[in-house]
Amino acid sequence: MDIKPIFLSLKQNKFMTILMIIQIAFTMGVLSSSVLVATETLREWGMDSGIPHEDIIRISPEFFDENQDVGQALVKDIERVKQMVNVINVAPSNAVPFTAENMINVYLTAQEDAQEYKTVVFHSDENIFDVLQLSLVEGRMLTASDVIRGEDSVTPQNASQVMISKDMAKVLFGEQSAVGQTIWLAKNSDPVQVVGIYSNFMTGERLNGRGKSYQSIIRPQVKWSQTHQPNYLIRVEQGKATGMLEDIIDVFYLERGRYINSSELLKRTQKRMYDGRGSRALTMLVISLILLIITGLGMTGLTAFQVTQKRKQIGTRRALGAKKRDVMRYFLTENSIITIIGLLIGVLVTLTITFELSEQASQNFMNLSVLLLTGLVMWLVNILAVWFPAKRAANIEPAIVTRSA
Amino acid sequence: MFNYNLQLALKSLKDRPSLTFLTILTIAIGLGLYTTIKTMSYQGGQVPLAHKSKNIFLVQMDNREITAEEVDHQSRMVDTTYKDTLNLLAMEMPGVEQTLNWYTYGILNIEDENINPVRATASVTSSNFFTMFEPPFLYGNGWDKATEDSAEGVIVISKLMNDKLFGGKNSVGENVRIGTNVLKIIGVLDTWHLSRKFYDRGFRSGRPDNFFIPHTYAIANELPRLAGFDCWKADADIARSFRNENTQRLLNSECAWVTFWAEVPDEQIENYQQQLVNYMEGQKALGRFPREILTFVTNLNDQFAYINGRDDFMNVFSIISTLFFAVCLLNAVGILLAKFMRRTKEVSLRRALGAKKKTIIAQHVIEVAIIGLLGGLLGLVVAYLGLQGMMNIQIYSSDYTRRLEDLQPLFALDFTMIANAFITGILCTLIASIYPIWRLCNTPPASQLKSQ
Repeated sequence: MDIKPIFLSLKQNKFMTILMIIQIAFTMGVLSSSVLVATETLREWGMDSGIPHEDIIRISPEFFDENQDVGQALVKDIERVKQMVNVINVAPSNAVPFTAENMINVYLTAQEDAQEYKTVVFHSDENIFDVLQLSLVEGRMLTASDVIRGEDSVTPQNASQVMISKDMAKVLFGEQSAVGQTIWLAKNSDPVQVVGIYSNFMTGERLNGRGKSYQSIIRPQVKWSQTHQPNYLIRVEQGKATGMLEDIIDVFYLERGRYINSSELLKRTQKRMYDGRGSRALTMLVISLILLIITGLGMTGLTAFQVTQKRKQIGTRRALGAKKRDVMRYFLTENSIITIIGLLIGVLVTLTITFELSEQASQNFMNLSVLLLTGLVMWLVNILAVWFPAKRAANIEPAIVTRSA
Repeated sequence: MFNYNLQLALKSLKDRPSLTFLTILTIAIGLGLYTTIKTMSYQGGQVPLAHKSKNIFLVQMDNREITAEEVDHQSRMVDTTYKDTLNLLAMEMPGVEQTLNWYTYGILNIEDENINPVRATASVTSSNFFTMFEPPFLYGNGWDKATEDSAEGVIVISKLMNDKLFGGKNSVGENVRIGTNVLKIIGVLDTWHLSRKFYDRGFRSGRPDNFFIPHTYAIANELPRLAGFDCWKADADIARSFRNENTQRLLNSECAWVTFWAEVPDEQIENYQQQLVNYMEGQKALGRFPREILTFVTNLNDQFAYINGRDDFMNVFSIISTLFFAVCLLNAVGILLAKFMRRTKEVSLRRALGAKKKTIIAQHVIEVAIIGLLGGLLGLVVAYLGLQGMMNIQIYSSDYTRRLEDLQPLFALDFTMIANAFITGILCTLIASIYPIWRLCNTPPASQLKSQ
């Protein structure tokens, strides 16, 4: 089929053609940038947490009464919770998965210019491995005898042996075995020995945003002061967590003089971790889907208009021997040409928008395959939009020619 | 004639109902989204205390070190030191009211062990707060100057706290504890809606404060100060510790951290600014305010204009929704063209039989106006749904820490916005239809007759 007559016809109908091109370009720009942002967010949503987060409850008590004995409360809390039906295990911890934001640098040597490695250190006891269901990859597990406990001011010593996550080991030591190695938890000070490697789990948004989601260290120590009490991570029988939350909070309120802050399932903590960007991206996505529908409807309208305009020409072509197929093909090709020009301009719009967004969020949203896929979907939607008016055009009787003068 | 045209227009609307519906739907969706975003930015940008917002001023004095950088805008200027706020409060100026503010939080609890404690954000302020910013009281009222000067433990709590701790009864006279400090409730606020909480300069939406306490009491009992501390070099290292400790050092320091407000009647403004300069000069003699004298006295209107202009989220969505509406209108043009061009035959016949161009135009303008009206109506429904959706997204993304009650006013369609939507709908549809109508009425009278 010759494309030339199509271009001629497009040239004759400049207003319509430009209208359609602008619309497609704009729709493409908005749709693909929001799809790009959304896929980037959804990709992170799909990331494995590495822990049974639907069955873990976190409790963060906050003492306001200085006369309360925090250490005593810690012992009693754990005792009380362990006695509850369906509670499997409980561990105190200074950080909570999905919100562990206390990012620090660790080093492989004591030198001044040692390379920095980002990580989060969890201070907890031997139970955390059972609570989070972390498995041993290499070396040995930390046990109760490794754990240092005490009130901050009277317990200056720190645990000298730690376990690190699988990703942490890989980043620090590559193919080498990490077990038995020494790392420095602060510049020039605080060297600790790695005794084992545990399976990965999600730390929090700050590391996640840097693509280092699973880099963590567990240090066996439980310390507290009047203003800083550890959080509790409680694993319960599968599927029982939601129903038990209120009861668990009540148990913690048996200890007076404190407020139970952030009591929730880790599932919710995880949700919150992705929220900020997530909901914005999804809003954009919904808006652009509506836009796509509108554009489709518009295409249908405009093509229907053109079909009405060209009834006579179509009839003539049919009378001269063109098949129904050919008429359909004419309209579909015409639309595809417009769509492709629109899409090309749309890609430029998208590049500008995503560049701006990537700069703002310091995160790369560009993804060629998603962009191509969006373009393909837009083309298909347009074909669909043109299909019905084109079909009507194909059904125009050749005899129509004979009617006019 | 009008009736005749109206009848023709109605007939034509019914003629191809699917195309008519498509046009209305396109306009409704575009207008709906546009109105959603417009309403959000309109409600979110409303200046509180509209009747006197031009007389409510944020007061800032440049007390920084000689080495500090130049500041050309109020938003980047430091706040006030506590000692300066006390000195300014002590100044007597007829008609002028002043107050101060900082952000704090506390765990509210009562004797009754069946009621669990509540963690609440709050505001530390002075007695004038209640007369200047006019929060609505449900029970009791604010404290007076004498109570404040004696650093007595009094507190005004929000309706939410009253509901949670006292089950909604009149709790004036009861005791409540912040941590372990016992305070007496002297007032309970009713729901207080501010488009943005301006008085702590946070300009946040939908997160009202839960209690209010006198600054004298907060200082004496060392309650936390959730402020940013702009300190001189000598204190810069420990600035963060001022949130919870080192109170005495903070009070003696040159750290600016208190937001200071004044309500000044029009005729006093110049005088007030002069008083500030005089005060600074007086302090200069004591070795303070080393820099050239610089004050910013900014009223609420100006602050809101600045803040609203910086709302990137709203700005981006405003542009998108406007473009979106434009695309919908372009679509409407296309569909109207398709619809009208079917009618060329009829129009040319009527023209040949003597109908004037004017009549043809009138008939179609009526038809388009009806489409615009219906589009506007349906658009309002879309806007309502859109606003509800947006509100729920915000509640969801705040992880349910913001409440429906506090957000609702920010997403409410009021009369102004409804009228706005209608006028926009009809006007834009009419503008969009100029080209199709022009095409149609320029059909030569006899052109179509030939072919019959």
